[in-house]
This record gives sequence, C-alpha cells and structure tokens, in this order.
Amino acid sequence: MIPSYLEEVLPKEQIRVNDEMGHPLGNGGLQFIEAKSEEDISKVLAYAYVHDKTVNVVSGGTKRGFGGEIERADILLSLASYKGIVEHSVGDLTMTVKPGTTLKEITDQLRNHGQRVALDTSWPELATIGGIVSANDSGPKRLLYGSARDLVIGMRIVYPDGSVIRTGGKVVKNVAGYDMNKLFIGSMGTLGIISEITIKLRPIPKYEGLSLLQFHDGKEQDIRKFAIQLLDSKMEPVSLEVLTPTIAEKVTGKKNYTLAIAFEDRKNAVLDQEKWVKDHFPNGVVHSIKHEEEAKKWWEGFRHLGPNGYNDSKHDADTQAALKIGSNNLDVPIILGAIDKVAEVHHVGVEAHGGVGHGISKVYVKGFPEDIVSYIRAVRAMAEEKGGYAVCTHLPFALREPVGVWGEKPGYFALLEGIKQTNDPKNIMNRKRFVGGI
Amino acid sequence: MARKKRNKVNPDAVVRQLMNIVGEREVLYLKEDLISYECDGYTMTKGMPKAVVFVKNTEHVSQVVRCLNRERIPYIARGAGTGLSGGATPLGGEVIISLVRMKRMLHLDLDNRKAVIEPGFVNLKLTQSISDKGYYYAPDPSSQYACTIGGNVAENSGGAHCLKYGVTTNHILGLEIVLPNGEVVEIGEDGIPDQPGYDLLGLLTGSEGTLGIVTKITVKVLKNPEGKKTVLAYYDDINDASQAVSEIIAAGIIPAALEMMDSIAIEGVESAAYPVGHPLDIAAFLLIEVDGIAAGIDDQIDEILTVCKHNNVREVKVAKDEAERGLWWANRKMGFGAMGAISPDYLVQDGVIPRTRLPEVLIRIAEISKKYDLRIANIFHAGDGNLHPLILFDARIPGESERAAKAGSECLKVCADVGGSITGEHGVGIEKSAEMRFIFSDEEMAAQTNIRAVFNPDDLLNPGKLFPQPGRCVEVKQG
Ligand SMILES: Cc1cc2nc3c(=O)[nH]c(=O)nc-3n(C[C@H](O)[C@H](O)[C@H](O)COP(=O)(O)OP(=O)(O)OC[C@H]3O[C@@H](n4cnc5c(N)ncnc54)[C@H](O)[C@@H]3O)c2cc1C
Repeated sequence: MIPSYLEEVLPKEQIRVNDEMGHPLGNGGLQFIEAKSEEDISKVLAYAYVHDKTVNVVSGGTKRGFGGEIERADILLSLASYKGIVEHSVGDLTMTVKPGTTLKEITDQLRNHGQRVALDTSWPELATIGGIVSANDSGPKRLLYGSARDLVIGMRIVYPDGSVIRTGGKVVKNVAGYDMNKLFIGSMGTLGIISEITIKLRPIPKYEGLSLLQFHDGKEQDIRKFAIQLLDSKMEPVSLEVLTPTIAEKVTGKKNYTLAIAFEDRKNAVLDQEKWVKDHFPNGVVHSIKHEEEAKKWWEGFRHLGPNGYNDSKHDADTQAALKIGSNNLDVPIILGAIDKVAEVHHVGVEAHGGVGHGISKVYVKGFPEDIVSYIRAVRAMAEEKGGYAVCTHLPFALREPVGVWGEKPGYFALLEGIKQTNDPKNIMNRKRFVGGI
Repeated sequence: MARKKRNKVNPDAVVRQLMNIVGEREVLYLKEDLISYECDGYTMTKGMPKAVVFVKNTEHVSQVVRCLNRERIPYIARGAGTGLSGGATPLGGEVIISLVRMKRMLHLDLDNRKAVIEPGFVNLKLTQSISDKGYYYAPDPSSQYACTIGGNVAENSGGAHCLKYGVTTNHILGLEIVLPNGEVVEIGEDGIPDQPGYDLLGLLTGSEGTLGIVTKITVKVLKNPEGKKTVLAYYDDINDASQAVSEIIAAGIIPAALEMMDSIAIEGVESAAYPVGHPLDIAAFLLIEVDGIAAGIDDQIDEILTVCKHNNVREVKVAKDEAERGLWWANRKMGFGAMGAISPDYLVQDGVIPRTRLPEVLIRIAEISKKYDLRIANIFHAGDGNLHPLILFDARIPGESERAAKAGSECLKVCADVGGSITGEHGVGIEKSAEMRFIFSDEEMAAQTNIRAVFNPDDLLNPGKLFPQPGRCVEVKQG
C-alpha cells in the first residue's frame, strides 16, 4: 500500500510500492518514486526531511552495487526519467543536462555539432551523467582529458531539506566563492541530489588511432620501462592503459599483457606518434594499429566489460565484484601483475586494466563469495603497501560489510563527517553509502 | 630585515609568545615594519596587522595557529602579497603568517610527473627548476615571477595558458594543511588521485585562505610540448576580433592561449618595458598560441590564419623565432603593470562571460566608461571568456577612486547579467565580497559559509573575506 501522505507529494502514477524483496545489490527502498522534474525531487526530499524518512537515489542503476550498507531505505527515488539536454551552447563548448540522461544520449546529440563530453566510462547506454559524476567514474582516456572534477563547471543541487542550491556557474573559468561542485562529485549522493549539471565539452578529435602492444609472458617489466620512455618523450597519448592477459584476450583475442595507447589529434600528429611507438617499442612485442572506425569499435567493446548492475549471475560460483585501485602512475603495471598472480591462489577469475599515466586501475572479479572476500582483502593489502587504496565499486549487498567497501577511514574523517552533518543533519540521504559509514 | 636603531616599543605578551615559537627576529610588530603588509596588490582597502610572523616549517604554523586560537586573535596566511582582491589584506589587528620562508622543493618525481613543494615556492621557479629535463608547471599567472604556489592554490589562479591546460585546481594532487585548530592533515597523500572521501583538495583550492593554511603541495608537472607556434593578429574592429575568437574555437581548435587586448591596453604595453611596435591605431589584437605534436600544428595555424583573414584582419603574422614569441608574451604579461605608464592608478577587474557574449559585453563596458568618465582598458583571456577591464583613475582627484570602484562593480554586474561570473582567477577577497550577491542567493552563500564552519568554526582564519558583510550592499540579483 502506498501511504496516502505520499500521494499528497506527487501524483499516484509516480509512486509505487516496491515489491522487489531483497535485491541482491541492496540500495533499494520501500516506496519507489519517479521524479520527473527538479520540483519533484525537491518535494520528495522536503517531505522525507520533515518526516525523517531515508532516501536512496537511483538513475541508470549501473552503480547499485557500489557502496551501501542498508538494504532498503524508506524511499527509492529514481531520476531515470528526469533526462534531456537543457542547453547546449555550441560556441561556448558547454552543455547543461539533467541527471538522468545517459552518456550515450548525450554523445549522440553532441556528435551532430562535432562535440562531446570527454568521459569514456563504461556502459554508456545505461549509465547516466548524474550517476557518473556522483560516483566519480572515469575511463582510460582521463590521462589526457581529465575526470569529472576537471569537466563539471556548475550544478544545481537539491539539498536534503528540499532547497535548491546552485554551485559553480555556466562559464568555464570561475573562482567566485568556494568550489562547491567538488563536494558533490564522487560523494555518492550523500550530500544532496544533483538536479542539473553544466559541463565543459571538447571538440571531437579530427582523427584517432589505437596502438596495441602485446608483451610476451615474462616480459611484463618491459611495459613499465616502455611507459617511462613514452611519458618522457613529447608524445601525447590519450590513453596508456595496461591490460592483464585475461582482459586482453576478451578485447584482442590474445592472452598477453597488452598496452593500449590511443592518440587523438590531427591525422598527421596521430600518424607521427604511432611512428614513434613503432620505432621505440622493445623487442618481442607484437604490435598492431587501428584507426578511426576500427579504433572506435574497439573502445566500444572495452566499455562493455565488468558488472553493470544488471548482469550479476544467480549462481554463487559466478558472484561478481569490481574494484577501483588508486596508486602511483608507474606502480600500475606492478600492482596489476601482483593481483593477477594471486587470483589463482584465491580461486577467482580476474580481469583488470589500469592507466600508467593516471594511476587508476579497474579490477573485475568472479568467483564464490568467500573467495572474493579473501581476494579483495589481499588486493587491498597490496595496493596499500604501495601507498594506494582499493575501493569496491561493485559487490553484492551481503559482502559489503565483511569486506569494507571504502577501506579504512582517512585521518581527517572528522572533516568529512562535519560536511555530511552540515548538508544532511538528519542523515536521510543515501545513508551508509560512503566512506566510514557516512 | 635590516634592523635600524629606533624607538623601542616592547612586544606585548602575544608577540612574545610568537617570538618564542619562531624566534625573536622572525616577528615584526613595529608599526613602521607593518606598513608594507597593510594590503596586497589590491590597494583600495588597507588595514594594519597586529604582527607578521615568518614561519619556517609546518610545526611553526601549527604552533602559531594554536597560540592565536588560545588568544582569540584572528590571523591570515600570506604568500607574496600579489593577490588582486585583498585576500591577504588585514581588516585590522590580525596576525599575518608569512609563508615566504617555506620555499623548498621537497621531492621531485618526474617518472610519476609530480613535485612536492612548500607553499612559499615561487611559481616560475618551479618551471625553471625542471625545464632542463624538459618539464614545466602549467598554470602561469602573469605574476608568476613573484607569486607563490601557496597563494595560487588559495586563489585557484589561472594564466594565459589555462585555456588548454586548466587552472591551478587541475594541477593539484595533494596538500598538507594546518587546520584552524592547529591540527595538521594530509589530503591526497602521495598525490594519488581520487582518494576515498569528499574532494577536499578541490574544495580547499580556491578557498582564499579561509579553510586552512597550506603547508605542503603536491603538483602535477607536464612535459614540454613538442611544437609551439604563436600568431599575432591586428584588428581595426574589435567585433571582428571577437568573431575570430569564436570561429577558432568552432573550428575544433583548442589553442594553448588565446589572448586579446584593446587599444587602450595596447597604448599601455607599448609605453612599458617590452614594446613590440604594435600599431597604436588598431582596435585590438589577438595573441594566439597553438602547441602540441609538431606534425599537427601547421594545419591548425593555417586554419587560424584563414579565420583571421576571413574576419577582416589588418595584419596577421606568425612569430618567426623564440625571441619574437618571447617578446610578444613579455609585452602581454606586462599588461597590468603597464597601466602605470599611462595612468596614475588603475583597478583590475576580473569578470567571466560566455565567450559568445563578448561583443555585447564590450559595448556595455564602453558605456560604463562613458558614464563614469573613466578610461577602461581591456585585457582578456578571450578563449575562456575571462575579461580584465582595467579602470584607469587618479586617486589624488577627490571622488575618483570611488567612481572607479563603482565602475568596476558595474562591469561585474554586466558579466553576471549575461550568465557569467564576478571572478575568473583573482578571487573575491574583500574587493568583490558584496558582488557575490550578483550571482549567489543568501541561501547559496549560507551553504558555503556552513562548510566554512566545518573547517574554521570561530572564523579566526582570514575573517571578513569572500562573503558580503552585513551593511555593505549592492543591487541584488537572484535566481
Ligand atoms: C601584475 C599582476 C599580474 C597578475 N596576473 C595574474 C594572472 O594572470 N592570473 C591570476 O590568476 N592571478 C594573477 N594575479 C593575482 C595574484 O598574483 C594571484 O592571485 C596569486 O596566486 C597570489 O599569490 P601570492 O603568493 O601573492 O598570494 P597572496 O597575495 O599573498 O595571498 C593570496 C591569498 O592566498 C592566501 N594564502 C596565501 N598563501 C597561503 C597558504 N599557504 N595557505 C592558505 N592560504 C594562503 C592569502 O590569505 C590570500 O587570501 C596577478 C597579480 C599581479 C600583481
């Protein structure tokens, strides 16, 4: 039954009792509400705030497995139908968009104007811009183009009490007041709901190429050496992504450590850089090049790996998890090698890739739940030993507490708590979704 | 400091405590020593500090902060004092914590492309100390020969080359901070990206020294581009120049820099230290730089030349060598200082507009100039819509300073009205705190001051900055 008070907040058609009992990824809600406007979001939050109801937020659902230690909130608020580009200022290379718009929808629309959002995150037809920004997701090309924090210039936020606050602005350079945008990027919806995002765009490059370098078994150290040489040259790779053999097999057909080097520029500049690669890669490397459509197709495949919130198996043996590891750039090949090696010991299947130029790695794990738990602990220990961290970006609900999604609290946790307390004093928003149980 | 014999004034108890922490010679407290700390590069508001303390390390900062907290005395961090909005200017009675002696490079890791420096490290020195290895630090404010990277972090400073490479915030990987309670915290340890937690690095960068004192900074360093070419284009009509800017961007080119100066600004730079010989009868010039992979540059330069010609350029040329390029840039970077050559005083403004609104905004600025009967020179980072109207005045003429301030505020109103911002890189400080109302509602500012309270609950660190003070009002715009 839908409580009658909710009907006073929004029309009946936008509310339903959530009958999915015990979603394996948690992060559900007893009442499912669909927001169609910022005003809807604001009304629902104002209601929840006054009545002490907890609210979980969902859009595309691709990150439903990312954090969250309560199975169900009072309300599950969906932004999936709150979508569309509000404004695209072609000459200013900026766009304002509603949070439920998928990255693919954005890409398709901007393409007509020769522009794009420079984010190459996974599952673009499912993942929404609001979710990508809230989870601070990124792809291999952040090496040159940066991540959400470098692209988002303004937002509208519905605060937990229902008030609407603008952060940043619509211009590409702006230092008026605190850079409040940053607080909401990667905050997993714990500080308010992003109801509009203004983002910097880039022109679609004139030409693109992808060089794939396959390193033979036992030659993994060469990857690091070659990466150092490339990074010290004047080449400007867009990606410098290391693929472990298992993931390489999926996208290249060859089970070798592989380096995926993308160049995007004028044609001459791309070809010139590819020539540099050809002239410098070490002996014994198998090398191939893809251009334009072929390269695009390859990346398209690459963006469809790993869990997406809908592709979890019912079989225990195929339980899925995903990790994001942050490390020093040049520790990436070392960490990937180490975590790949111990996969067997823990009886899990592992596919992983990471950027030698930007320090972020992604690991996709499959196996029995208890093996996944022990594997993640081992991986986290290895990352931390190198001064890095490991965060679980996908885990079944039941495993989150045993593993600890975010790792240890940072030393300055009191500041994070203070910020949460300031924005959401009643702790109604995405409760326990974030670091240290925030 | 040279210590002359002079009237002996005994330090008070607080000053003595500070001396105990940093050493007697490291504290200034006599009026004659304090005068140069009355303001920063924004000279329209001045205040006398209680003392200036020169700290040498994080521990000093922490102890000084703890002491001042105990004594309930407000304090301000200060770098080189080149700020243009009064960020480091006392309102009266604050202790200034000067970080200029904390100027070491602590660590350089070119393989991982990062450097760790102390906050007093001068911006240009960073590039100079790694250039032999082919690396540089990208944010390049025109004051880079003097300003500190600690100040850059506080202001989230930009520069001519930020169009392609981003502003300070895009280059900061880690910070060590002394919080207003004296606690030392390390954020973004080791410079590793995306560390779990709210993005405090992003919040602190640009917080104008009101959330904490930065004592260590990890920055990204970049490899020098393989190729670089610079174009200078002279225009008889400023609208043609504006149109050329839009068309260059529309052509899918992201220049490393795209700068514009109008005729009054040109008159200034041609009278200053690095004259280029720009014709004095043009309406504006564009200075356009493209860098990157050498093989891709000529194409882009050709397109730029075509766009310039198509927009009625009088003359357009490509720098023939590094010396010529260097001179063009020296001339441009003198921009603000050069106003001193043609006017006794000048006020720098720092609005931002959507690039496409440039022509109409220029018309409105010209109207403001007429209305207040003050000349306004314009220097822009045209590529990202960041305008620097320079309002020329003579402070000796009664009423003219006030007129200049009003004209400046009105320029910002114009920027806000077209959907822009009141500051792109110089910060709000004291100067633009009332103008914050042009772009934020009271509720939106409260959302920010509430965050300040998490870090700086007693508002002892740099009080009275960034947000409007009750009593000072300007025309209000909301929504
Ligand atoms: C001729 C001229 C040209 C300029 N050109 C540019 C330009 O192109 N682009 C641009 O962005 N700016 C420019 N500026 C402005 C100014 O140089 C920058 O804002 C610079 O970053 C200030 O650095 P500073 O070391 O002088 O800081 P200060 O002026 O000493 O301080 C600025 C602010 O930072 C705070 N602060 C300083 N150090 C710390 C610290 N360690 N921790 C916490 N807070 C701190 C202070 O409290 C103050 O609020 C120019 C200024 C001049 C005079």
